[in-house]
Formats: sequence, structure tokens, C-alpha cells
Amino acid sequence: MSAPMEIVVCADSVGQLWNCAVLDLHSSTNLLSYRGGNTSSRSLTILNGEYILGAQLGKNFINVWEIQRKDQLQQKIVCPGIVTCLTASPNGLYLAAGIAETIYLWEVSTGNLLAILSRHYQDLTCLRFTDDSSHFISGGKDNLALVWSLASVVQLDPSHSPEPRHVLSRHALPITDIHCGLMGPQARVATASLDQTVKLWELSSGEMLLSVLFDVGIMSVTLDPCEYYLFCGGSDGGIFQVSLCSQSLSRDKTFQSDNDGNQVFKGHRNLVTCLSVSMDGTLLLSGSHDETIRLWDIQSKQSIRSINHKGPVTNAFIIPAPANMFLPDSRPGVPLPRFSRHLNPSEQGEGVETAGVCLRLAPHTQTQKETYLEKADKLYSLMSAVTDKNVFGDGENTKVRVSELEEEVRTLKKINKDLYDFSAQLLTKPS
Amino acid sequence: MTKSKKKKRQNDFQKIKLRVGKTKPKASNATNVNFRTKGIHLTDQLKKDDSAPTTHRKLNIKDLLSQLHHYSGTVKQGALVGLKELLTLHPSEVDQHLSSLLSEVAAVFTDKDSNVRMSATRVLRFIAQSVPAERTCPFFPLLSAHLSCAMTHIETGIQEDALKILDVLLDHYPALLAARPALLLTNFLELISHRSTRAGARKSQEGKGRSWDLSVNPSRNVTGQQWRLTVLLRLGRFLQAVVEERRTEDGAAGVSGDMFGLLNGDGGANAHLELNWEDLSYGKGSFQVFEHSGATPTPHSTFKLRPDTEAGAGLSEGLCSVEAVRSFASTLVPLLMDVWVEASYSDRSKTDSAHLLTPDAMALMYQVLSILQLLRKLAPHREHQDTLDVWFRSEYLGVFKQHFMRNFPYGGLDTPKQRKKKDSKSKQASTVAGQTVDPLALNVLLCQVMVSMVTLSQREGPAKEPDADWLMPLRGFVQETLSSGAKLSQRHLHTLLETVWRMVITQHSRAVTEDLLQAVYVQYQQMNLNLQTRTLLLSFFSRLYLQEHNHTHIARSRLLSRWLAALPLQLSQLGHRNPALSHRLLLAIQAAASRGNKDLLKSLHTHSCRLYDPQEGSVVLLPVESQQRLVQLLYFLPVIPVGLLANLSRCCTAGRVSAGLAASLIRIIHLRSSLSGWSVGSQDTAVCDVDYISFLFSTLTGFSSDELSTLQEAGDDSVLPPSPLSPLSLYPTPLEQFTHHWDVVEEVCHCLETLGSRSQCFDVLQNGICKNLTGLAVVPDSMAAGLLRAVARLLDQSFLPSEALLRFLSQCCVSLLSLVLTLQQDVASETNHKREAVWGACVAALSSVPRLLRMVLQLLRVGDLCEEELPQLAQILSLLLQHTTLRNHMLANAALLQHIIQELTRYCQGETREQWLTDLLYCYSVTMAPHRGNLGLRDIY
Repeated sequence: MSAPMEIVVCADSVGQLWNCAVLDLHSSTNLLSYRGGNTSSRSLTILNGEYILGAQLGKNFINVWEIQRKDQLQQKIVCPGIVTCLTASPNGLYLAAGIAETIYLWEVSTGNLLAILSRHYQDLTCLRFTDDSSHFISGGKDNLALVWSLASVVQLDPSHSPEPRHVLSRHALPITDIHCGLMGPQARVATASLDQTVKLWELSSGEMLLSVLFDVGIMSVTLDPCEYYLFCGGSDGGIFQVSLCSQSLSRDKTFQSDNDGNQVFKGHRNLVTCLSVSMDGTLLLSGSHDETIRLWDIQSKQSIRSINHKGPVTNAFIIPAPANMFLPDSRPGVPLPRFSRHLNPSEQGEGVETAGVCLRLAPHTQTQKETYLEKADKLYSLMSAVTDKNVFGDGENTKVRVSELEEEVRTLKKINKDLYDFSAQLLTKPS
Repeated sequence: MTKSKKKKRQNDFQKIKLRVGKTKPKASNATNVNFRTKGIHLTDQLKKDDSAPTTHRKLNIKDLLSQLHHYSGTVKQGALVGLKELLTLHPSEVDQHLSSLLSEVAAVFTDKDSNVRMSATRVLRFIAQSVPAERTCPFFPLLSAHLSCAMTHIETGIQEDALKILDVLLDHYPALLAARPALLLTNFLELISHRSTRAGARKSQEGKGRSWDLSVNPSRNVTGQQWRLTVLLRLGRFLQAVVEERRTEDGAAGVSGDMFGLLNGDGGANAHLELNWEDLSYGKGSFQVFEHSGATPTPHSTFKLRPDTEAGAGLSEGLCSVEAVRSFASTLVPLLMDVWVEASYSDRSKTDSAHLLTPDAMALMYQVLSILQLLRKLAPHREHQDTLDVWFRSEYLGVFKQHFMRNFPYGGLDTPKQRKKKDSKSKQASTVAGQTVDPLALNVLLCQVMVSMVTLSQREGPAKEPDADWLMPLRGFVQETLSSGAKLSQRHLHTLLETVWRMVITQHSRAVTEDLLQAVYVQYQQMNLNLQTRTLLLSFFSRLYLQEHNHTHIARSRLLSRWLAALPLQLSQLGHRNPALSHRLLLAIQAAASRGNKDLLKSLHTHSCRLYDPQEGSVVLLPVESQQRLVQLLYFLPVIPVGLLANLSRCCTAGRVSAGLAASLIRIIHLRSSLSGWSVGSQDTAVCDVDYISFLFSTLTGFSSDELSTLQEAGDDSVLPPSPLSPLSLYPTPLEQFTHHWDVVEEVCHCLETLGSRSQCFDVLQNGICKNLTGLAVVPDSMAAGLLRAVARLLDQSFLPSEALLRFLSQCCVSLLSLVLTLQQDVASETNHKREAVWGACVAALSSVPRLLRMVLQLLRVGDLCEEELPQLAQILSLLLQHTTLRNHMLANAALLQHIIQELTRYCQGETREQWLTDLLYCYSVTMAPHRGNLGLRDIY
């Protein structure tokens, strides 16, 4: 049997047989299951395709499994408080956890705690990274969703506490779920809230594009990969589909049916807590407090399959299957370090074993930087100036200029070589 | 013949001899000049040209425009007056001839005759009033060219009138003017100063030399100061226009200026879509979320893909870069300082004390300050504001300190005699001065200008010290003004609040903050403030509160928390008198509540019963939007006491909040109970389970115990009397209340369904009904239907309901069935919904509880009925028989049914068989047919 392309990862709050299970998307056979404890909602995440992390419900630690060794709990990361939400950046470099009203951000390669962000006033409910890991969005019970730029958060600057890039503050009740679309910093973000609305934001400007008011509080939200449809899981068990691109051009208006794609998936009997759409946008996965996970065909809005659980479903999502998952002999590329509990390990006297080099930007190295386009413009004007001079005489100056530039290239090459030598030496040195 | 001919020929050329001393004889062809002429003025045409509208002089627009080229001033003026007349009579002419009109009228801006210029201004004003900016746009370069021509004209009169034209344009087309500020700014400078040529040589040595000097033109008919005032007034207005233009470009959130102005309701410049699920699901209207299908980001993105236009040097580039603004400021500020100094020194000669000013000087200084203030706001982008501030501080702090602060609290020189004389003598001068400025305005503005010099960058360290010496008097003045208790005008208050804001943000001292806020609070506590002022103060405080996260001294302010704690009380006291203000209050409360502010929550807790009172609480008095916010506030209450729950239950059922809102209220309380299952982190539950369930139960019944007991004693007129067919007497609730209650019941049922164990939940419900309701003789129909609905939805097959409950329910059911019949007779369509709801509830209950059906059938005793009720009974039976879901249950009770039908047939044996009986028998036979065949029927006959 060939390994499946897409898998469903799900967990419930009882965790009688297993903590979390991996199912095949199309046949829903149970492929793997990971044992030990249970996972709280919105806190199951896959790190770099090598580890599965899940925060223990009501306790202050995170369970970690290696993705191919299904039964064995690998590690427990002890945190300063109960973890309410957890997410790993898609590039596998950072891990963010919401603990009470603060966000903790770790660097995965060293285990250093990079930042503690306490801008929320109440407990966090959800954390999401953009697909390029450049930003993350946090939502809390204080009605706020904050957009953080990872670069500015990580930046080493003791005097300034990092500020969020945008504060999305139009919700009137706690935020229950966030979905971040594709396209990195130009993505669109959907936030769901108990105030019965789902709002769609533009990440780049922090402006609201759309607000949809429903009859019930919305517990979960997701977009399909094309961002044609918005799926909203209601607290009464309905899943509402909002079409974001109505194709009602004037010329084909007559052929249109009355309801253009805004329909309800009916089947769940309680809060719909998790929603996820498959890669091809044909299947919708929903997990609910009525202890079932359902798989829907989006086109026909029918429930294809219903999988029973032993308790309210806390996490369910569709992901492309990680390569390591079905190779029992594989090992993770990088061993997981110990995650530190304090901001500055050297001061706390526990970071003796972290001998790695900490690469973080100093405060003002990046502030005044030119954009690439600016640089390109400058370079272009420089080059065109050179050619202009070549064409229209003034050879003397040009020669000087060219020799200057050659000099520049030479120094740059030298620097590059030095850098290469240094790093090669560092890497090859027997530790 | 020939001879005579010759003679004649000679006679033709007679020589006339002229002699000295004799008068010269007149030549025969001399012109006689003994006549007098008179000119004929054709001011109006005789012939009527019907093709185009004309003035009363019968001149059409072409004639008038051509007359503008006449050399004579009076003709030109006449033409302008005629134009104005024509345009007022025929406004459509403006649209047709706009281009020629504007170009011709603009050409006479520089006319030598002042009357012509005045008329031209009037015509321009008229055109400007009737033509919107976007239509003038293509002709505006022409207009502004003529304007700057007039402004730089060598004649002073034309210069003065050019300012009037500028006024017109500023009034009507500020955006167009502001779009190309460069040329106008130089013109302004040239009006009050001249480029100093001799300084040019020195400039290179000094580096910071000035190239412009103030100038005085002695030939003007106003004093130098008054002239400067008129120019500065226009400059101020012009800069204002530029700043506003910037703001609309930059998005409404605005340059720091309008921090807590009236437009801070929502920040986004983009209009977002607000959709409603119901509209969506019914396909009403379509929408497009992504413009250009999302290919290009909105212009408000904070990611800059392309650098701004390269910064140009000097004024020629306009004010679109920091450097340009800076260079303009560095030209203008020294001039302004000179003006200031001259104004203050010219007064010195008249008065003894330096801080008393004449009205003229005061107006001038006011203008200087307001222009300085505007200069600060000219930064092209918000992010440049700080760099500009820093530059201002470094360049001019010393100068400002020296000149502005020396005599700081300025006062008006009290010269009543002088002013009177001036008013009578030279009215023109006072109109030039514009509005008289009171000293308070001057001082307040001065505070604002000076405080803006405190920059954020130097917040720490000893650098704070040097500011203290000049900030002290300012702070003192602000505090005194605010706390004096006097009523301040809207504008002054706004400026003062901005000053306080800036001080609080920049000064990181708790004591200072506390003092300043105390002063503002004095204003806030004043009685009888008008709405705008109140809103202004309110938004000041709430903005301040929202800022607290990075200013610990604000967060710890005791006054702010006092203010917050007072809000719920104010809200409850306000009632329904001022919904707009209530809305503001609610916004502030909600913000604080969502942040979990302890003081506020405590105060909210104490006042909650008043706020949510079902009779006169804010929750029922305010408009829908505020109601919604109030309901949402419930989520944040740490504990919801029993009394409040009782109130809320009454709110839900009383019908003064909409059913949808009541549903969301129930849902919110559901979320706050431990039974909802949605909890993230360690949030305590606000409602204990017992209270929650009793809340649900009382909401389900829809009537309080008091109401029910009064219903029991009510007379027969309001209640349907009991009869054998309806063992309980029903109280018919009004249709509106019925539907409301029906919607609420649906929501309650949903909550009860999700509680967990079905059987336990039903047990609780059964106990509640048995204890509280079974004894009733009069039951509202909405309650009965609601109970049946809830029972049908909640009953688990494994659970056996108690006898008492079933008896009560069966009574309800029978009564409701007979109600359905009476409703059926009512043809009015509005009862349709009610009938269907009642019928649906009955059928659902009967089909889900088989025992209930049996008890209902047992209740239908034919013997007790009188004759008129027999058909009704038959109808009920046939309705039940026709219902397919009930069929199996009916079959199970076949014996009972047969008995009833036999009785029925026996009772009407004597008469001819009636239609209803035939119908019933038919239904019966059809229902029972497959099982009993004709057997049953044979038994009957």
C-alpha cells in the first residue's frame, strides 16, 4: 500500500485509547495513534514534519512524540502554566504557545525562549502562523486578535517590548478561532468570535474586509485553499458556507439559482470546534463537541463519513502526510533540545549546555535598511549612468568608476570567502 | 459758336482774388459744422435671439464675454454684473460655457479697476457655489495661474483683492488648491517679505543665513501688522486645507492631530462589507470581497513595495517630502518669529506690562501659533511625524522658549474706549482682522504648540530635566483652566485635551498624570454639558485607557480606575435619555470589561441588576445595537448572581428585546456555565449549574409565578373557559408574544439538549413542571405549547415520565388541540404560524411519548360532551388519524379509539348522519384498513 497523500490528525478531550490519531483522509482507516494523556483544543501541532506536539489538557506541560514512533511518548516540555494553544511555524524553526494571557516563543533549534509577549489581557484561545512563517496571529478572550511580525518579536532589544504590527479589535466577544490564508504577509485572515460574526482581514494593512453576522456564535472558521469559500462552524452544530466570490456577472444572472453557494452543512448536534479543508478543496473535515468527526463533500454538502470519538473533539485537521510518518526506521533530523522556561538562560544559570551561536538581529540593524526594490533602482540607475557615460564619452570618469566597482567586487568576494572559511571551520571542528 | 464756347470755358475757372484784410470766402465744398451730435448707447439689443437665454438687456453669454475685453471699466463691470444675473436666472448656462466663463473671468482678476475685480470675485463665488470641485478640476491650472499672477502683481490693490479670490477658492475647492501647494506658498512669502539680496553673500559664510526678510510697504492703506494678519489668515487656512488633504489620503485614522475627535468611531479608511447570514442564505444581493480579485493589495498596506518619490529639494517640489516641509518651515518660521516679535514689541510701547496685548496683536499672534501648529502636521506620512518633531525641537526650541514663554499667560488689554472708536471709524480694519481672538484661545494654542515640542524620543535619563522649567507654567495653566470649573468651548477643550494627552504620554510621572487627569475629571463632572463636549471628554478618557498597555503610569492611575468604576452607574442613570451617549459609555465599558479591569467589573456587578432590569433597565430602554452590547457584556461578568439571572429570564420572555437577542443572551449564559464544555484555560464559571437550569426553566415557561397566579384569578373574559374538550382553561397570548416565546423555547431546548445526560436533564425538567405548574388551572397557550415542544425534544426513550407529568401534559395537549380547531376557523393568515406551531408541538409530543397519546384518548370522554362539541371531537380525531407519524401509535391504541368512535356514533344515532361523522369514519377506516380490514367497520354498524 502506498502511503497516503493527505492525512487527518485528530484528538479528543478524553483520550481513552490514544491521545491523538492519524487517519487516512479517503478511507478513514486508523493509520497511527499516539498514546499518553490527552490534548486541549487548538494545541495539537506538527513540528517540521518530525514531531507531534500536543498540550496536555489542564496541565502545564506539552507532550512530544516523534512522528514515526507512534506509541512512545518522547518528551514532556514543562511550561510555566497551563497551555491553552500551541502552534509551530511551518518552517519548523519556532514554536509558539499561549499560556494564560501571554505568548511564549521558542526557537526550536536551541530551545531558547526568545520572547514572552503579554499584550493580551485575558486568556489566549488561538495562535496561527502565516504560511511563510513571517507573521503570527494570536486571538484571545479579550476580543482582540494581534498580528505579530516574527522578525520584530525575535529582535534582540531589551529596552522595547515588541509591539504587534496590527491590533484587530472589532470583535465584541472572545475570539474562538483564527484561520490564516496563503500568500505570506499578503494573506487574508479570518477570525471567528462568540459575538456571532466572522470577520475577514487583510494581513498587510490590518484592515477589515468583510464581516458576516450569523444567528449563532461561531466556534471555528476556515477558508478553502483558493479562498473561494469561508466555512464557519456554529455553536448549534451547523457549518455555514459563505461564498466569497459570487460569480454573478450581469450576463449570466438569469441562469443563476437563488442561493449562490451560501449553504449550511447540517449534521452535528453541538459546537463545531474544528474545521479543515483538504488540499484540493473538495473535502471538509469538521470536529464537534458531539463527539464525532465528520467528513463532508463540499460540492454536494453531504456528510460522507462520520467517525465517532469517546469525547468532545479538540483537534482535527487535514495535512499533507509528513515523509517520516510511515517509515518506522527514520529518525528526526535534529534532536529536540530542552526548552528553557526563562527568557535569558545564562542569567538563570541553567543554560550551560547551550553552546550554540545565537543569531538574532540587534535593534537597529534592520530599521533603516533599504528595500530590495530601492536597491535595485539604485543599482539600475548606477548601471544606466555607466552606460550613458560610455556612450556619450567621458571615458576617464567611467574608467575610474569601473575600477572602483571592480575593487568593490573583489572585497566582497574576499569577505564571502572569509565567511565561508570561518563557518566551514566551525562546522568541521570536532566538538 | 466757338467764341461763345471759349468764353464759357473761361468762366469755369474764375480766379478768386484773395486780399489781405478781407475774410477768406468759404470754399464751396466746405463742411458745415453747425450741427450737434448725440451718442446712441445700445445697452440692450432690440432683436430677440431666441437661441440662447439672455439678460434683461437681451445680451446673451457670448456678448457678455466679449464685452469683458472692452477697454472701459464700466462696460466690463456691467458685463460681469450681467453675467451674474444670467447665471442666476439660467444655471444651465454655467455647465455649457464653464471653460470660457472661467478663463474670461479669471483674466480680469488683474484688472486695474477695483470695481471690476470685486465683481469678478462675486461671479467667481457664484460659479464656485454651483460647480462641484471635480468639474472645475480641468480648468484649475488656469485659475491658479491667474491667481498667482494677481497675488504677485505690483499693485497693492490687486494683491489685496487676490486674497479675496483665494478666500473663494479656499471655501469651495480646498482640495484642488492643496493639490499643488508649491507656487502658492512662495507667493504667500512674497506678500509679507522679500528675498534679501544682500544676505545672499553672507549666507554662505553663516551657513544658516536667512534669505527672506519681512517687508513693509508704506503705500498700503492698512498698517503693516494688519496686512500681515490678513495674509497669515489665508496662509493658515491654506495649510489647513493641505493638512486635511493629507489626512484623506492617509486614511481617516489621521495624523496625530485629531486623536480623540469626533471621528474616531472607526478607523479604517476602507469600507468593509457587513453581511447578515439570513440575507446571504436567501441569496439577496451578491458581493465581491476582493477588489481586482485580490491581485493588488490595498493602498493602505504597511508593506512598502516601492520607495516614495525621490525627495526633491526646495519648495518647487511641493510639500510631499519631509525635506520639502523642512525647508519650507525653515523659511517660514523665522518670518513668523519676526512677526511675533514685532507684534509684541509694538504693544510694549503702548502698555506697561508685557503680557497684556491689544486685540490686533493678539489676533496676529494667534495666527502665528496656528500656522506653527499646522506646519507640524504637514508631515507627508505618519511615520515622518516623529522625525519632523525632532527637527523642530532641535531647531527652534530655544527661540520658542525665548519669545513665547517669556510673558506666558497673555491677557487681553482692556481698552473699551479704543475699540469702540475703531469700530465706528474703520470698520474695514476690523473686518480684515477677522474674528477677534480671546486670550484664552491664544494661551491654549500656545500650550499646544509648546507641548508638541516635547518629543517622545528623549523619555529617559536626565534629558527630561531641561524641559521642566518651561513645562511647569504650561502645566499650571492647563490645570488651572480645566479645574476652574468654567465652561470651555468645544474647540478650546479639544485643544486643551490634546495638550493634556501629549503631556501625559510624554511625561512618565505618575503624580503629574494624576494632577492633569484630576483637572480633566473636574470638567467631566460638570453638569449640563452638551453632547459633543461630553463625548469629547468621554473619548479622551477611553482613548487614554486603551493606551495603558505601554504606559504603566497611566495604567496605575487611580483616577482612571475611578472614572471606569463610575461608568456603569452613569449608564444606568442615563436610561433612555441619550442613546448616543449611552452607546459611547457602553463602548468604553466593553473595552475595559474585555480587558478584565477589576474595578469596572466590580462596579458592573453591583449595578448589574439595575442595568438588566426587565422594566426600566438600560437593556430594554436603549436601541437595539446598545442592547446587543449590553448582552455581550454579560459574558465578562465574573459571577452572575441569582437576582440578575431572574431579571435576565424576565428580559428574555417579556418581549422587549428581540427574540434573536434573547437567544444570544441565553447562549452567552450557556457559555458561562460549566455545562457548555467550551472553556479554554482556567476561566471560572460564572453561573452554578442549579441557577443555570432554573434560569432555563423559567425562560421556558415564559411567565413568572406572579403572573401565573394573577392569571388564575383573572376573570373569564380574558381566558378561554374550561370545557370537557379542554380540561385546562387556556390564556390566549397575543400573537407577537407567542412567536417570541416560541423562538426562545427553541433556543432553550437546544441548550438543554447539549447539557449532557438526556435522562437526567429530563428528570430535572419533570420535577420542575410537577412542582410548579401541575396545579395550574389556567395555562397560557404559549407555555403549554413550549412545554410540549421541550418534552418532545428532550425525552429519552429509556426514561419513563411520571404519571403526574403525563396527566398535566395530556390536559395541555387536549386543550391545545381544541385551540387548533378554533384557530382553524379563523381564516386570517397571521394565525397560521401559531396554529402550525401548536399543532407541531402536539404531534411531536404525542408521537414521541406513546403513553401521552393514550392518556389523551382516555381524556376524550364522549359521554361528558354536549352536542355542539361532538363535531369538534370528531375533527380532532380525524386530524390525528390523518397524521402519518402518529399512525403506529394510533394502531396501538386501536381499542380505545374504537370505543370512542362507537360512543360517538351512538350519540348521534337519532339524527341523519352528518358530514363530520362520515369524514371521521372514513379516516378511521383508511388508517386501520390494512390491519383490521372491514372488521372494525362492521363492528360499528
